[in-house]
Amino acid sequence: MSAQVDAQARQLAREAAHWLTLCDAGELDAERAAALAQWRGRSTAHEALWQKAEALRQRFAAVPAPLAVACLDRPQLDRRKLLGQALALGALAPLAWFGYQQLPMQRWRADLHTATGERRTLQLADGSRLQLNTASAVNLEVGEGLARVQLLEGEIALDSLGPVQVSLPQGLAVATRASFCVRLQAQGCLVSVSQGHVSLQPLRGAPVQLQSGQQALLSSSGVGPTRAFDAQLPGWRQGLLIVDNQPLGDFLRELDRYRPGLLRWDPLLERLAVTGTFQLDDSERILALLAASLPLEVHYRSRYWVSLTPRKKLA
Amino acid sequence: MPDSAAAPQASLSTLYRDHRSWLESWLRRRLGDSWEAADLAQDTFVRVLAAQHTQTLPSLREPRAYLLTVGKRLLVNHYQRRSLERAYLEALANLPQALAPSPEQRWLLLETLHALDELLDGLPRAVRQAFLWSQLEGIDYSTIGERLGVSERTVKRYMAKAYEHCLLVDL
Repeated sequence: MSAQVDAQARQLAREAAHWLTLCDAGELDAERAAALAQWRGRSTAHEALWQKAEALRQRFAAVPAPLAVACLDRPQLDRRKLLGQALALGALAPLAWFGYQQLPMQRWRADLHTATGERRTLQLADGSRLQLNTASAVNLEVGEGLARVQLLEGEIALDSLGPVQVSLPQGLAVATRASFCVRLQAQGCLVSVSQGHVSLQPLRGAPVQLQSGQQALLSSSGVGPTRAFDAQLPGWRQGLLIVDNQPLGDFLRELDRYRPGLLRWDPLLERLAVTGTFQLDDSERILALLAASLPLEVHYRSRYWVSLTPRKKLA
Repeated sequence: MPDSAAAPQASLSTLYRDHRSWLESWLRRRLGDSWEAADLAQDTFVRVLAAQHTQTLPSLREPRAYLLTVGKRLLVNHYQRRSLERAYLEALANLPQALAPSPEQRWLLLETLHALDELLDGLPRAVRQAFLWSQLEGIDYSTIGERLGVSERTVKRYMAKAYEHCLLVDL
């Protein structure tokens, strides 16, 4: 750039910069203010540059400070490293890095956790199986004849062969030989039993026994009504998202749990109906499938920033 | 006239045919991602195509050097954009719910931040910080000097440098 900017423009910018620092530092007394007014009046180029400076300051003033400082004052990239022969570490694993950055502290301190989009399966000492869904965290304590799991965040599934106790913010879920899922949500904790039975013991109110094929919400006010669900239907444990006539908004909110970054959509799309079986491990493909079967378009601002809009009608 | 109009197009398609896959694999080695490498290679040719409307294709005797210059610039821009997006998402996640911008605002805000990020590109860290603190948070020069461990006069010099830099960039 320096070669292309002529000396005159550079000189003008330098003078304007000098005046601007005087303004900032509160050193613009009446005499200097008059001198500045005179400087601005020297030519249209002077005045135009001053207008540009004003616009520049307004641009910075218009962004929320804490957010902008965090973003713009981040450590700068080393160009030579980026362009050199070696692969930059950040370039190697953007996704892993992303999950790591978004982890709240709680998830960090947990015994076991998964990043957004990750699932993990673990075999306990007694042969029981513990699965963690996306963005989940648990503390684990396997003692004499009892496995204790504390769910901190996200969702888990258990296939227990012995006694197991899941502690939740709203109470306990206790089982001996059972397969069940527990999902922390804003309103409480949804427990779904697919085999055996599970006892829900809320902090307040009476315990409730759930049978295979039943689910209920455990909240701070007790156990909600028991509802039936299709326990045979595969789900995230098999890496699948299966929906039948689900509103697109609900579908995308669910999909969003598995995708790092931001996914947003036009409210007009909220009520479109989705039916199908989708592979959770390939959310890019899910979006492509949606675009192929519904009247919508997928826009990638970047891999981590996707928006869906209604498809434009052909002119 | 038809001859001179057709000539650059012919040379561009030659350029594309002969060097595209080479450029793509060069980018892939740096990005570790063939999808993004293909995108960036494509963007590089789009830039070259756009440039030839305003100027003739320079130095086609060294086409690869020319493509690399354009490609490197895009690569750095790409990394910068990505690191900004990460910082942005991270900052959003740390923001109290009440202060979080709406989804619509978020996108606009990111675009604005990207423009400001490009504007400040190339400034030394301390100069950049002094300028950000002053412009975004309205912190006075003496406090900035204390934070940076430099004199107020130095802060003034930093600020003048940053202003001059920004005024010379086309907004």
